[in-house]
Amino acid sequence: MLYRPLESEEQLLAEFAMGDRAATERIYKQHFKIINGWILKNGGSTDDAADVFQEAMMVMYEKAQAADFRLQCKIGTYVFAISKNLWLKKLKAEDRLPAVAIKDSDNEDGQDAAYEDDLNIHREREVHFEQLSSALEQLGEPCRSLLKAFYEQNKTMQEISADFGYTNPENAKTQKYKCLTRLRKLFYAVKAN
Amino acid sequence: MILNEYEIWVTAEAFVGGTMPADALHELKQRLIDDHAYNASFRACVDLLRSMEKAGKRQQMKNMLQEIGAGKSAVKKSIPLRSYYIRTAAVAAGMALLTSLSTIWVMNNSSKKDVSQYNVLRRELENIKRSQNQLLKDINTNTKTSQPVSVVKYTGTGFAISNNGYFVTNYHVTEGADSVYIQNHEGDYFKARVLAYEPQTDLAILKVEDDDFRFGSTEVPYTFSGAKAGLGSKVYTLGFPDDEIVYNEGYISAKNGFQNDSMQYRLELPADPGQSGAPVLDANGNVLAIVTAKGKQNEGNTYAESSNALLKLVHSLPKSLSLHLPKTNKLRHLNREEQIKKLEFYTCSVKVYKK
Repeated sequence: MLYRPLESEEQLLAEFAMGDRAATERIYKQHFKIINGWILKNGGSTDDAADVFQEAMMVMYEKAQAADFRLQCKIGTYVFAISKNLWLKKLKAEDRLPAVAIKDSDNEDGQDAAYEDDLNIHREREVHFEQLSSALEQLGEPCRSLLKAFYEQNKTMQEISADFGYTNPENAKTQKYKCLTRLRKLFYAVKAN
Repeated sequence: MILNEYEIWVTAEAFVGGTMPADALHELKQRLIDDHAYNASFRACVDLLRSMEKAGKRQQMKNMLQEIGAGKSAVKKSIPLRSYYIRTAAVAAGMALLTSLSTIWVMNNSSKKDVSQYNVLRRELENIKRSQNQLLKDINTNTKTSQPVSVVKYTGTGFAISNNGYFVTNYHVTEGADSVYIQNHEGDYFKARVLAYEPQTDLAILKVEDDDFRFGSTEVPYTFSGAKAGLGSKVYTLGFPDDEIVYNEGYISAKNGFQNDSMQYRLELPADPGQSGAPVLDANGNVLAIVTAKGKQNEGNTYAESSNALLKLVHSLPKSLSLHLPKTNKLRHLNREEQIKKLEFYTCSVKVYKK
């Protein structure tokens, strides 16, 4: 008999890290409800919950990209802790933190510090990609769309050359490199500021 | 653009993509040591390419999360009734292709079964499904990809062993699947995952991924017989040779199955491809067996794995699973029509996708 455990969180996470839709959907459906419930009880709406939960999922996604990645706890525990942390920070930033501290007894201090590290790394990464995105905006058309088509929409140079009206993929490729050269300059200028 | 710039991007892309031949890589490393200006420039290119790749993947993930959050599921849970019927009509339109249905998969190698006498009953669907998808696409152009991406390769039948999404079908139906979906009697699709299988007895246990899924409003109404039923026992089956559920009846014609396999029954019961995995029940609504294959020598000759083989497989699973076999038979005092009405909820079509 060959048995393949259903609830293997490691396998689920590995598929999630690869951007697999079914795995992502599964994690989302399993864990959103409880976080939504918590946010609703703590001054937020379902929209807030979705924002916070999706950001927590991004934190986990980025963390899962590392080759030596291992989650020290259950997916649910991790996403919940990150979500809580993000929401409390948001309340604090908006000066809406309730007078009575929100009960947070299920986390040990050591654990909290680990989540704090993950969130700091996440914030640094966010800044990095925001800079890249702002450089992309400055790049203008057709470069912006061309690079997005290649890197975001996974289009081939063949498709791009057809979509953007280049005579052949080789020309589109030359154009892509020109765009990248300009982007490189813009990106460093943004970072220097 | 100066040639140098072009060349540096080509090299950086090959480097990042890991497609560089060993000697070119060696040459590059030497140049990076010797030429500091080139080194700095090359690093900047590599960093940018990696950042762009990551940014692309991050954006895809963000979009996906938003879509999931907005309730746009990759697999549409329920197909609107109209397109469900149009889909059926599409099958009719594909009648010319139906001949491929009679192509029956033949068990290969490793099997104990003698190929010439034994046909498993999963249904091959590739050609037909493709034409259906074509038609579906015309109908659904404004809705996002609702169907699983690859084409249906085989269909079989499955039936519940526990109301919370555990069901059984034949191993040969799900073998090598990229993904498996079930379609219940209402036409709704649910993604399932193979949990365990036993090639020897040709059984597979699957679970619907959605933890909230239930086959029916009550526990599974039939029980599984642990003892072998007698020769001549009247039996019936419900399966999906087509998109519609089909009823057939017959009797046990031999206590042992193909080549005297004691884990099987031999039945006199009409069965068609697609009925692999269908439950075989006695008059009281006990599941006796699971339809597996068809003999070649005459029309009604069908082989079915005994529910003993299924019980064995279930009992070898870890206790921690929330799989609880039904304990009470609620079909016993019902007439056949009422039994079938209940059974329809717990029987499903199994669709197997392969690239």
